[in-house]
Amino acid sequence: MIAHSLFFYFFSFIAIISAIMVTASKNTVHSVFFLILDFISISCLFIMIGAEFLGMIMLIVYVGAVAVLFLFVVMMLNVAQQNSELIQKNNKYTHLPIGLIVSLIIFFELIIVIGGWKFKPDIISSNYISINSNITNTHSIGNVLYTDYIHLFQLSGIILLVAMIGAIVLTFKKRSGIKRQSYIEQISREKSTGVSLIDVESNKGVNIDD
Amino acid sequence: MENFNFILSEIFISISIMILLLVGVFKKNSSNLVYSLAIIVLVISLGLIFNSHSKDEIYFFKDSYKIDQLSIFMKIITIISGIFVLIASFNYIKSEKIFKIEYGILILCSILGMLVMISAYDLIVFYIGLELQSLALYVLAAFNRNNIKSSEAGLKYFVLSALSSGILLYGCSLIYGYSGTTNFDLIAKNILLTELGNVFGLVFILVGLAFKISAVPFHMWAPDVYEGSPTSVTLFFAIVPKVAALTVIIRFLYVPFVTLIDQWQVIIIFLSLASMIFGAIAAIGQKNLKRLIAYSSIGHMGYALAGLAVGTNSGIQNSIIYICIYLIMNLGIFCCLFTLKRNDKFYDNVEDLSGLSKNHPLISFSFLILLFSLAGIPPLAGFFAKFYIFISVIEESMYFLAIVGLLSSVISAFYYLRIIKIIYFDEATDKFDQVNDLGLKITLCLSTIIILLYFIYPSALIDLVTNINII
Repeated sequence: MIAHSLFFYFFSFIAIISAIMVTASKNTVHSVFFLILDFISISCLFIMIGAEFLGMIMLIVYVGAVAVLFLFVVMMLNVAQQNSELIQKNNKYTHLPIGLIVSLIIFFELIIVIGGWKFKPDIISSNYISINSNITNTHSIGNVLYTDYIHLFQLSGIILLVAMIGAIVLTFKKRSGIKRQSYIEQISREKSTGVSLIDVESNKGVNIDD
Repeated sequence: MENFNFILSEIFISISIMILLLVGVFKKNSSNLVYSLAIIVLVISLGLIFNSHSKDEIYFFKDSYKIDQLSIFMKIITIISGIFVLIASFNYIKSEKIFKIEYGILILCSILGMLVMISAYDLIVFYIGLELQSLALYVLAAFNRNNIKSSEAGLKYFVLSALSSGILLYGCSLIYGYSGTTNFDLIAKNILLTELGNVFGLVFILVGLAFKISAVPFHMWAPDVYEGSPTSVTLFFAIVPKVAALTVIIRFLYVPFVTLIDQWQVIIIFLSLASMIFGAIAAIGQKNLKRLIAYSSIGHMGYALAGLAVGTNSGIQNSIIYICIYLIMNLGIFCCLFTLKRNDKFYDNVEDLSGLSKNHPLISFSFLILLFSLAGIPPLAGFFAKFYIFISVIEESMYFLAIVGLLSSVISAFYYLRIIKIIYFDEATDKFDQVNDLGLKITLCLSTIIILLYFIYPSALIDLVTNINII
């Protein structure tokens, strides 16, 4: 058990520290790296509680796709340089007091909540959550995802569709003045439309502007 | 097997979103076609809802989706207002050059999200519906991307709304942690008064919802977003999402949190008082009509919340009546705004209305009726809406709420009357263009007539609403 709790504290410590560093670091690229570290340690935590499918999905989706995409965006926009210049210019932190007050209030509220909780593990009756230990995680997620939660699955699909439509509406520009390729036109070109034979008579010369 | 008759309208809308997208992609210059098809889709789904009307309460998907009188009525209201918004804003969208195929499709997506929200009986379903609705609204707010104000509105709405969604989700996770379930009925059963965490979850959820209906003190986004977005989108913002958000608030307050009534009643009373006072005072200095309507809608949300604060069935019913009448009045006001067009430019400042009555007596008359009704002057519909709210507030002897409501309604009458004075007694300016759009004319006439003649047969609306019993 000691090894287990050691690992748990190790991963959760890294997760919290890297979450703080995401917001604290001045360089945007570093923020993204800390975000990746955060995701990895959270996926380790998932694996430790036996939710290996969620942990792996976390790695594949968040680290493999989302964070790397972030990294590309950040590098392409060259935000890192601009940000650091901005911070160097006005180094006043005028927003800091208000932000601190608000976050302190929320922090104390949460302290009160946890104080009221009094560490009662029996508060959540787990009658509603029945876990069948005979089948794998992946299997049990699949069992409910496509039956009881099919409507949520489909609606999430529509949300992604809306996001795609939105991105296209807000950024797509039809540029004029550029030549577009039309594959159908190119493939269906025939000898009769593409080539014209001109019979040039000899010894006549060329008449220009007759 | 579950009876899918009752959710046919949602299924139909989601399938037609995809079909309309395909039509828009593969048929060239089909903006007109897609737009009118979107209206037809809404009309058909309205028919589907009427077709599956039932007196019973029906649950779907392991009790996470509920069809009852409240959800059926609110869905009908949502779809009808969606249809009229699309009909009325057709010409505006065309002349502002934002007429793309995606416009109608995004409106459909947003309405689909609202329908899901209205029927949601589970935290997850509610959140998915909310996100679907607001994601489409972000894009719509920034739809006129050549206009810097519209882009600003979209960005502002997106950032603030994402923040409020985060707060709301945090509240949902607290509730889930303390009650061990996401289903509304089971939450009501498991929730314990002694646990402080439940109250915190409730507060966070209410903050998120108050943001969505722009109640004070979570109203900051509304004036900027209303002003920046294209007027057609502002019309949509001002009326349709409020119905869904109000339904969700009713559900949250009276199903999962009904045992916490002492806790939330204070919050709702505060939100209501603050919105009524702020909406009345802040609108006085406004020069832009769209901003003014934003502040006035904040005030009106305060009255609607006052009905919810009392904790009785009649209070809920009167809130629903209030929101219906509010929809009709705002629809009419925006139709008037759509007519203020001169040389392909739309005007939306208060001074532009100066002397409107000399050139356009009919439009000015509609303006007069609608503004009087917004101010709550008898015998127009707006008066009755406020009257019902005050009755149910006084029945529960919450006199302070009623007094503040009356006073702020008197204050707000000032800026409505000022507009009327500008229309009728100021120097006339140039004429506006003649309105040729039949849909716009019909919508304006209908809303004015309903507001004007509501007092003849008020039980038409009341009878519909009395079926809705939550408690």
